[in-house]
Amino acid sequence: MFERVSIRLVLSIMMAAAMISVSANAQGYHQNSLTLSVGAYAASGFGTNPYAGVRYNYILPDDRFFVEGSIGFSSLKSDVLETISRSQVFPSNDLYTYEFVLAYDAHPTGYVPYILAGVAGINQGGQTSFAGVLGLGKRMPLANFLGSDQLGLRYDIRDQVFSQQINNADPFLAHNITFTLGLQFYF
Amino acid sequence: MAALLVLCTNTPSMHAQQTEKAEAPAPPVVDLTRGVSFEVSPHTGYMGGSGTFGLRFSMNYGAFNFEIAGEQVIGQTANLYPIFVNAVLNLSTKGNLIPYGTVGGGLMLTTPTNTIGDETVSTLGVSFGGGARYYLTEIFGLRLEGKQYITSVQSERDQNDELLFFQEISLGVTFLFN
Repeated sequence: MFERVSIRLVLSIMMAAAMISVSANAQGYHQNSLTLSVGAYAASGFGTNPYAGVRYNYILPDDRFFVEGSIGFSSLKSDVLETISRSQVFPSNDLYTYEFVLAYDAHPTGYVPYILAGVAGINQGGQTSFAGVLGLGKRMPLANFLGSDQLGLRYDIRDQVFSQQINNADPFLAHNITFTLGLQFYF
Repeated sequence: MAALLVLCTNTPSMHAQQTEKAEAPAPPVVDLTRGVSFEVSPHTGYMGGSGTFGLRFSMNYGAFNFEIAGEQVIGQTANLYPIFVNAVLNLSTKGNLIPYGTVGGGLMLTTPTNTIGDETVSTLGVSFGGGARYYLTEIFGLRLEGKQYITSVQSERDQNDELLFFQEISLGVTFLFN
Protein backbone atom coordinates (compact mmCIF):
# COMPACT_ATOMS: atom_id res chain seq x y z
CA MET A 1 0.00 0.00 0.00
CA PHE A 2 2.74 2.43 1.03
CA GLU A 3 4.75 1.50 -2.05
CA ARG A 4 1.76 2.21 -4.35
CA VAL A 5 1.24 5.63 -2.79
CA SER A 6 4.97 6.36 -3.05
CA ILE A 7 5.08 5.39 -6.71
CA ARG A 8 1.99 7.51 -7.47
CA LEU A 9 3.50 10.44 -5.58
CA VAL A 10 6.80 10.18 -7.45
CA LEU A 11 5.04 9.87 -10.82
CA SER A 12 2.82 12.87 -10.00
CA ILE A 13 5.84 14.97 -9.06
CA MET A 14 7.66 13.94 -12.23
CA MET A 15 4.66 14.81 -14.45
CA ALA A 16 4.06 18.13 -12.71
CA ALA A 17 7.74 18.93 -12.97
CA ALA A 18 7.79 18.14 -16.68
CA MET A 19 4.75 20.37 -17.26
CA ILE A 20 6.36 23.25 -15.38
CA SER A 21 9.50 22.75 -17.41
CA VAL A 22 7.66 22.90 -20.73
CA SER A 23 5.51 25.88 -19.78
CA ALA A 24 8.45 27.90 -18.51
CA ASN A 25 9.99 30.27 -20.97
CA ALA A 26 13.51 29.57 -22.02
CA GLN A 27 15.90 31.29 -19.65
CA GLY A 28 19.08 32.98 -20.65
CA TYR A 29 22.10 30.71 -20.70
CA HIS A 30 23.83 30.41 -17.34
CA GLN A 31 27.11 28.56 -17.01
CA ASN A 32 26.86 27.58 -13.36
CA SER A 33 24.29 26.53 -10.84
CA LEU A 34 24.09 25.59 -7.18
CA THR A 35 21.32 23.32 -5.92
CA LEU A 36 20.11 22.64 -2.42
CA SER A 37 18.58 19.17 -2.46
CA VAL A 38 16.53 17.27 0.09
CA GLY A 39 14.99 13.86 -0.18
CA ALA A 40 15.33 10.24 0.81
CA TYR A 41 18.35 7.94 0.80
CA ALA A 42 17.72 4.19 0.77
CA ALA A 43 20.91 2.45 1.89
CA SER A 44 20.94 -1.19 0.86
CA GLY A 45 20.09 -3.29 3.92
CA PHE A 46 19.60 -0.32 6.24
CA GLY A 47 16.30 1.22 5.22
CA THR A 48 15.45 4.74 4.12
CA ASN A 49 16.50 7.96 5.84
CA PRO A 50 16.30 11.69 5.07
CA TYR A 51 18.98 13.11 2.80
CA ALA A 52 20.26 16.64 2.26
CA GLY A 53 22.93 17.83 -0.11
CA VAL A 54 24.47 20.52 -2.28
CA ARG A 55 25.15 20.15 -6.00
CA TYR A 56 27.35 22.35 -8.20
CA ASN A 57 26.76 22.18 -11.96
CA TYR A 58 28.82 23.53 -14.81
CA ILE A 59 26.62 23.69 -17.89
CA LEU A 60 28.21 23.49 -21.32
CA PRO A 61 27.20 26.15 -23.87
CA ASP A 62 24.74 23.96 -25.80
CA ASP A 63 22.78 23.41 -22.54
CA ARG A 64 22.62 19.65 -23.16
CA PHE A 65 25.66 18.48 -21.21
CA PHE A 66 26.59 19.41 -17.68
CA VAL A 67 29.09 18.15 -15.15
CA GLU A 68 28.29 18.00 -11.47
CA GLY A 69 30.11 17.74 -8.18
CA SER A 70 27.98 17.13 -5.13
CA ILE A 71 28.08 16.21 -1.49
CA GLY A 72 25.21 14.83 0.55
CA PHE A 73 24.49 13.67 4.07
CA SER A 74 22.19 10.98 5.40
CA SER A 75 22.13 8.22 8.00
CA LEU A 76 22.35 4.45 8.36
CA LYS A 77 19.76 4.43 11.14
CA SER A 78 17.69 1.26 10.99
CA ASP A 79 14.80 0.54 13.34
CA VAL A 80 15.02 -3.16 12.52
CA LEU A 81 18.70 -3.43 13.45
CA GLU A 82 18.30 -1.29 16.58
CA THR A 83 15.10 -2.78 18.03
CA ILE A 84 15.06 -6.38 16.86
CA SER A 85 18.62 -7.54 16.31
CA ARG A 86 20.10 -4.86 18.60
CA SER A 87 23.23 -4.63 16.52
CA GLN A 88 25.25 -1.95 14.79
CA VAL A 89 27.15 -2.84 11.65
CA PHE A 90 29.38 0.22 11.40
CA PRO A 91 31.05 2.20 14.20
CA SER A 92 28.55 5.02 13.65
CA ASN A 93 25.34 5.69 11.73
CA ASP A 94 26.78 8.69 9.88
CA LEU A 95 26.69 8.53 6.12
CA TYR A 96 27.92 11.00 3.54
CA THR A 97 28.51 10.72 -0.17
CA TYR A 98 30.32 12.77 -2.78
CA GLU A 99 29.74 12.40 -6.51
CA PHE A 100 31.19 13.46 -9.84
CA VAL A 101 28.80 12.90 -12.72
CA LEU A 102 28.32 13.81 -16.37
CA ALA A 103 24.73 14.39 -17.48
CA TYR A 104 23.11 14.56 -20.89
CA ASP A 105 19.88 16.48 -21.26
CA ALA A 106 18.53 15.76 -24.75
CA HIS A 107 15.55 18.11 -24.34
CA PRO A 108 16.28 20.80 -21.74
CA THR A 109 12.79 22.35 -22.15
CA GLY A 110 10.91 19.14 -22.94
CA TYR A 111 9.39 16.27 -21.02
CA VAL A 112 12.29 13.87 -21.39
CA PRO A 113 14.49 13.66 -18.29
CA TYR A 114 18.25 13.91 -18.44
CA ILE A 115 20.41 10.88 -17.86
CA LEU A 116 23.68 10.80 -15.99
CA ALA A 117 26.58 8.56 -15.10
CA GLY A 118 29.56 9.01 -12.84
CA VAL A 119 31.36 7.91 -9.72
CA ALA A 120 30.82 8.38 -6.01
CA GLY A 121 32.54 7.93 -2.71
CA ILE A 122 30.24 6.59 0.00
CA ASN A 123 31.38 6.91 3.59
CA GLN A 124 29.33 4.61 5.81
CA GLY A 125 30.20 4.96 9.46
CA GLY A 126 33.84 5.74 8.64
CA GLN A 127 34.33 3.13 5.93
CA THR A 128 34.57 4.45 2.39
CA SER A 129 33.46 2.64 -0.76
CA PHE A 130 33.98 3.58 -4.39
CA ALA A 131 30.73 3.43 -6.34
CA GLY A 132 29.41 3.86 -9.84
CA VAL A 133 26.42 6.16 -10.27
CA LEU A 134 23.55 5.98 -12.74
CA GLY A 135 20.54 8.22 -12.66
CA LEU A 136 18.03 10.51 -14.24
CA GLY A 137 16.38 13.78 -13.42
CA LYS A 138 14.85 16.96 -14.72
CA ARG A 139 15.72 20.61 -14.47
CA MET A 140 12.77 22.98 -14.40
CA PRO A 141 13.68 26.65 -14.84
CA LEU A 142 11.22 29.00 -13.18
CA ALA A 143 11.04 31.89 -15.61
CA ASN A 144 10.34 35.27 -13.96
CA PHE A 145 9.65 33.60 -10.63
CA LEU A 146 9.93 36.28 -7.92
CA GLY A 147 11.19 38.58 -10.63
CA SER A 148 14.23 36.43 -11.31
CA ASP A 149 15.28 34.17 -14.15
CA GLN A 150 17.94 32.49 -12.01
CA LEU A 151 15.80 30.03 -10.06
CA GLY A 152 14.67 26.54 -10.92
CA LEU A 153 13.47 23.27 -9.49
CA ARG A 154 14.86 19.83 -10.18
CA TYR A 155 14.43 16.26 -9.17
CA ASP A 156 17.03 13.48 -9.23
CA ILE A 157 16.83 9.72 -8.90
CA ARG A 158 20.18 8.01 -8.55
CA ASP A 159 21.50 4.52 -8.02
CA GLN A 160 24.91 4.18 -6.38
CA VAL A 161 26.25 0.72 -7.15
CA PHE A 162 29.17 -0.62 -5.15
CA SER A 163 30.68 -3.73 -3.62
CA GLN A 164 29.67 -4.02 0.02
CA GLN A 165 31.39 -6.24 2.56
CA ILE A 166 30.02 -6.52 6.10
CA ASN A 167 31.70 -8.37 8.97
CA ASN A 168 34.12 -10.25 6.69
CA ALA A 169 31.24 -11.98 4.89
CA ASP A 170 31.36 -12.41 1.13
CA PRO A 171 31.08 -9.09 -0.67
CA PHE A 172 27.86 -8.39 -2.52
CA LEU A 173 26.67 -5.75 -4.96
CA ALA A 174 24.77 -3.05 -3.11
CA HIS A 175 22.40 -0.48 -4.59
CA ASN A 176 21.86 2.71 -2.63
CA ILE A 177 18.98 4.70 -4.11
CA THR A 178 18.56 8.45 -3.73
CA PHE A 179 15.51 10.54 -4.59
CA THR A 180 15.83 14.29 -4.16
CA LEU A 181 13.99 17.49 -4.94
CA GLY A 182 16.09 20.60 -5.25
CA LEU A 183 15.99 24.35 -5.53
CA GLN A 184 18.47 25.41 -8.20
CA PHE A 185 20.13 28.81 -8.41
CA TYR A 186 21.72 29.70 -11.77
CA PHE A 187 24.53 32.19 -12.06
CA MET B 1 36.66 49.53 -72.73
CA ALA B 2 38.25 51.64 -70.01
CA ALA B 3 35.79 50.25 -67.47
CA LEU B 4 36.64 46.68 -68.49
CA LEU B 5 40.35 47.46 -68.13
CA VAL B 6 39.80 48.87 -64.63
CA LEU B 7 37.73 45.82 -63.66
CA CYS B 8 40.42 43.44 -64.89
CA THR B 9 43.18 45.23 -63.04
CA ASN B 10 41.16 45.42 -59.82
CA THR B 11 39.92 41.84 -59.75
CA PRO B 12 43.15 40.14 -58.58
CA SER B 13 43.64 42.52 -55.68
CA MET B 14 40.00 42.03 -54.55
CA HIS B 15 40.55 38.28 -54.63
CA ALA B 16 43.69 38.72 -52.63
CA GLN B 17 41.84 40.76 -50.01
CA GLN B 18 39.09 38.15 -49.73
CA THR B 19 41.67 35.39 -49.41
CA GLU B 20 43.49 37.31 -46.69
CA LYS B 21 40.23 37.79 -44.80
CA ALA B 22 39.29 34.13 -45.15
CA GLU B 23 42.69 32.95 -43.98
CA ALA B 24 42.79 35.14 -40.86
CA PRO B 25 43.38 32.63 -38.05
CA ALA B 26 40.78 32.38 -35.31
CA PRO B 27 42.10 33.22 -31.85
CA PRO B 28 43.02 30.11 -29.85
CA VAL B 29 40.46 28.90 -27.32
CA VAL B 30 43.14 28.98 -24.64
CA ASP B 31 46.35 30.98 -24.67
CA LEU B 32 48.56 30.32 -21.65
CA THR B 33 51.08 32.97 -22.74
CA ARG B 34 48.67 35.83 -21.94
CA GLY B 35 49.69 35.94 -18.30
CA VAL B 36 49.35 33.92 -15.15
CA SER B 37 46.19 31.84 -14.87
CA PHE B 38 44.82 29.43 -12.32
CA GLU B 39 43.22 26.03 -12.71
CA VAL B 40 41.07 23.85 -10.50
CA SER B 41 40.81 20.23 -11.61
CA PRO B 42 38.62 17.68 -9.85
CA HIS B 43 39.16 14.16 -11.11
CA THR B 44 38.48 10.51 -10.57
CA GLY B 45 40.48 7.50 -11.58
CA TYR B 46 41.98 4.13 -10.84
CA MET B 47 45.14 3.29 -8.92
CA GLY B 48 46.35 -0.22 -8.18
CA GLY B 49 42.88 -1.75 -8.23
CA SER B 50 41.20 1.02 -6.23
CA GLY B 51 39.04 3.95 -7.19
CA THR B 52 40.32 7.47 -6.62
CA PHE B 53 38.99 11.00 -6.14
CA GLY B 54 41.16 14.06 -6.21
CA LEU B 55 41.57 17.77 -6.65
CA ARG B 56 44.43 19.73 -8.23
CA PHE B 57 45.13 23.45 -7.94
CA SER B 58 47.63 24.89 -10.38
CA MET B 59 49.17 28.18 -11.40
CA ASN B 60 49.99 28.47 -15.08
CA TYR B 61 53.08 30.40 -16.16
CA GLY B 62 52.93 29.70 -19.89
CA ALA B 63 54.85 26.52 -20.54
CA PHE B 64 55.24 25.80 -16.82
CA ASN B 65 52.61 24.99 -14.18
CA PHE B 66 53.08 24.79 -10.44
CA GLU B 67 50.54 22.40 -8.96
CA ILE B 68 49.30 21.17 -5.58
CA ALA B 69 47.33 17.93 -5.67
CA GLY B 70 45.44 15.89 -3.10
CA GLU B 71 43.73 12.57 -3.61
CA GLN B 72 41.81 9.84 -1.86
CA VAL B 73 42.50 6.28 -2.98
CA ILE B 74 39.71 4.09 -1.62
CA GLY B 75 41.04 0.65 -0.64
CA GLN B 76 39.41 -2.39 0.95
CA THR B 77 41.17 -2.07 4.29
CA ALA B 78 42.77 1.36 4.11
CA ASN B 79 42.57 4.67 2.32
CA LEU B 80 45.64 6.25 0.76
CA TYR B 81 45.96 10.04 0.60
CA PRO B 82 48.78 11.24 -1.68
CA ILE B 83 49.43 14.97 -1.16
CA PHE B 84 51.86 16.15 -3.80
CA VAL B 85 53.50 19.24 -5.25
CA ASN B 86 54.01 18.89 -8.99
CA ALA B 87 55.91 20.69 -11.73
CA VAL B 88 54.11 20.48 -15.06
CA LEU B 89 55.70 21.20 -18.45
CA ASN B 90 53.10 22.15 -21.06
CA LEU B 91 54.13 20.89 -24.48
CA SER B 92 51.83 23.45 -26.09
CA THR B 93 50.58 26.81 -24.80
CA LYS B 94 47.85 27.68 -27.29
CA GLY B 95 44.82 25.97 -28.72
CA ASN B 96 42.32 23.40 -27.51
CA LEU B 97 44.71 20.58 -26.77
CA ILE B 98 47.58 20.98 -24.32
CA PRO B 99 49.64 17.85 -23.69
CA TYR B 100 52.01 17.93 -20.75
CA GLY B 101 54.53 16.03 -18.69
CA THR B 102 54.64 16.14 -14.90
CA VAL B 103 56.99 15.31 -12.02
CA GLY B 104 56.32 15.75 -8.35
CA GLY B 105 56.95 14.77 -4.78
CA GLY B 106 55.07 14.65 -1.54
CA LEU B 107 53.54 12.66 1.25
CA MET B 108 51.55 9.44 0.99
CA LEU B 109 49.31 8.95 4.01
CA THR B 110 47.85 5.48 4.58
CA THR B 111 44.85 5.40 6.92
CA PRO B 112 43.32 2.05 7.97
CA THR B 113 39.52 2.02 7.79
CA ASN B 114 38.36 -1.21 9.39
CA THR B 115 40.93 -1.91 12.08
CA ILE B 116 40.91 -0.35 15.52
CA GLY B 117 44.11 1.05 16.98
CA ASP B 118 46.16 1.25 13.77
CA GLU B 119 47.53 4.69 13.08
CA THR B 120 48.08 6.64 9.91
CA VAL B 121 51.40 5.82 8.25
CA SER B 122 53.11 8.51 6.20
CA THR B 123 55.86 7.95 3.65
CA LEU B 124 57.63 10.17 1.16
CA GLY B 125 56.97 9.55 -2.50
CA VAL B 126 57.76 10.80 -5.97
CA SER B 127 55.70 10.68 -9.12
CA PHE B 128 56.07 11.24 -12.83
CA GLY B 129 53.79 10.94 -15.80
CA GLY B 130 51.96 12.81 -18.48
CA GLY B 131 48.60 13.72 -19.81
CA ALA B 132 46.59 16.19 -21.80
CA ARG B 133 44.02 18.90 -21.22
CA TYR B 134 41.41 19.48 -23.91
CA TYR B 135 39.54 22.78 -23.54
CA LEU B 136 35.94 22.83 -24.79
CA THR B 137 35.50 26.50 -23.88
CA GLU B 138 37.76 29.30 -22.61
CA ILE B 139 37.28 28.20 -19.03
CA PHE B 140 36.30 24.53 -19.15
CA GLY B 141 38.08 21.44 -20.36
CA LEU B 142 38.67 17.73 -19.89
CA ARG B 143 41.85 16.33 -18.40
CA LEU B 144 43.34 12.86 -18.80
CA GLU B 145 46.49 11.84 -16.94
CA GLY B 146 48.64 8.76 -16.39
CA LYS B 147 51.12 8.71 -13.54
CA GLN B 148 53.61 6.44 -11.81
CA TYR B 149 54.01 6.78 -8.04
CA ILE B 150 57.06 5.47 -6.20
CA THR B 151 57.39 5.27 -2.44
CA SER B 152 59.52 3.44 0.08
CA VAL B 153 58.10 1.57 3.08
CA GLN B 154 59.87 -0.32 5.83
CA SER B 155 59.14 -4.05 5.84
CA GLU B 156 57.85 -5.37 9.19
CA ARG B 157 59.62 -8.71 8.67
CA ASP B 158 63.22 -7.70 8.11
CA GLN B 159 63.06 -3.91 8.69
CA ASN B 160 64.45 -3.30 5.21
CA ASP B 161 63.14 -0.57 2.95
CA GLU B 162 61.00 -1.76 0.07
CA LEU B 163 60.13 0.26 -3.00
CA LEU B 164 56.46 0.27 -3.92
CA PHE B 165 55.15 1.28 -7.33
CA PHE B 166 51.62 2.41 -8.11
CA GLN B 167 50.20 3.31 -11.48
CA GLU B 168 47.32 5.71 -11.75
CA ILE B 169 45.07 6.73 -14.60
CA SER B 170 42.73 9.64 -13.98
CA LEU B 171 40.04 11.50 -15.88
CA GLY B 172 38.53 14.77 -14.82
CA VAL B 173 37.54 18.27 -15.74
CA THR B 174 39.43 21.50 -15.39
CA PHE B 175 38.29 25.09 -14.78
CA LEU B 176 40.61 27.86 -15.97
CA PHE B 177 40.59 31.32 -14.37
CA ASN B 178 42.60 34.23 -15.71
